[in-house]
Amino acid sequence: MIIRRLEENDETTTFDCGDAALNNFLKRYAWINQEKISIGVTYVAVDEPASRHIFGYFTLAAGGAPHDVFPAKFVRGLPRYDLPLILLARLAVHQTHAGRGIGHALMSEVFRISLQLAEVVGCRWIIADAYRDRIGWYQKYGFLPVVGASEKGPQRMFLDLRTLRKTPL
Amino acid sequence: MPVAHRKKRNAPPAEKRVRNAKFQADLAPAEERALRALKQDLQLRSNTDFLIDAVALFRWAVAERRAGRQIISETKSGERRVLVLPRLERVAPELQLPWVEIEWTERELQSLVELATAPEPAPPTPALIRAMQGLPK
Repeated sequence: MIIRRLEENDETTTFDCGDAALNNFLKRYAWINQEKISIGVTYVAVDEPASRHIFGYFTLAAGGAPHDVFPAKFVRGLPRYDLPLILLARLAVHQTHAGRGIGHALMSEVFRISLQLAEVVGCRWIIADAYRDRIGWYQKYGFLPVVGASEKGPQRMFLDLRTLRKTPL
Repeated sequence: MPVAHRKKRNAPPAEKRVRNAKFQADLAPAEERALRALKQDLQLRSNTDFLIDAVALFRWAVAERRAGRQIISETKSGERRVLVLPRLERVAPELQLPWVEIEWTERELQSLVELATAPEPAPPTPALIRAMQGLPK
C-alpha cells in the first residue's frame, strides 16, 4: 500500500467509509478543493501508485491561530502574523478495509508530512477536527482535546509537533 | 571631428554595460578537496565551468521536484534510491498546503494557548511511536 496525493482519475465514487459527509467530500469536493480552489490537499491510500481504488484518505490544509492571544513571552521575536499550524481536516477509511491498520498508516503519513512541513515552512501544531465518537482514536496518538468547541460540531484536537520530535526513531 | 564625437556620445554609459557576475566562496579544506576531485572527474578546467554545470544540474533537479517527480537512481538489478535533499523538498508540490481560515471560539483559543505554551510537550504515546517508526498498529 502506498499513500499519494489524490489524482483526477481516482475512483472516489465507490468510496464508502460509512459516513455520508466524509464519502460526499471525497466524491464531490476533494479534487476541486485541491486543484481548483486550493483549500485542501487530499492524500489517498491505494494498493500501488497506478491503482485507482481508494482504501482511505486524509485532507490537510495550513491554518493559523491569532498571534495576539498568546502571551508576549511566547511570541517574542515573531512577526505579527497568525501562528501557523497544520489542519487535519478529514481522515476516513473504506468500510471494507477497516481494521487493517489503514487509519494508522494514514496517521503515520500525516506525521511525516507535518514534520517535513515544519522544517520547510515552520509550523508548531497539528489540529484535527474529530468526530466525537472518534476522540479516543485521536487520543491514542497523543492528540489532546481543545476545550470550548460547540457541542454539536466536531471536537477540535491538538498535537504539539515537539511531541513528534521527541519520538525515538 | 563631429562624426567621431557623435559615436562616442551614443555608446552606453560605463555603469550600464553588462558585466559577468563574480562569486567568491569560503570553502573548508574538505569541501575544497571535494571540489577539486569533482573538477578532475568531470574534466572541468575552471571554477566557472564547474559552477555553470552545477547550476544546470540543480535547475533540472528543482524543475523535476517542482513538477512533483522524484529523482531516483536505479541499479541494473532494479535497486532504487530516492534523492531526498531537504532544500530541494522546499519546492515539492506535496509540501505546499493551501492556507485556510480557521474559526476559533474564545474558549478554544484560551485552551489552545494553554496547550501550546506548556513548557514540556506531552510525551509520545505508544501508538504515536509506532506510527512515527513506520510500524504497523
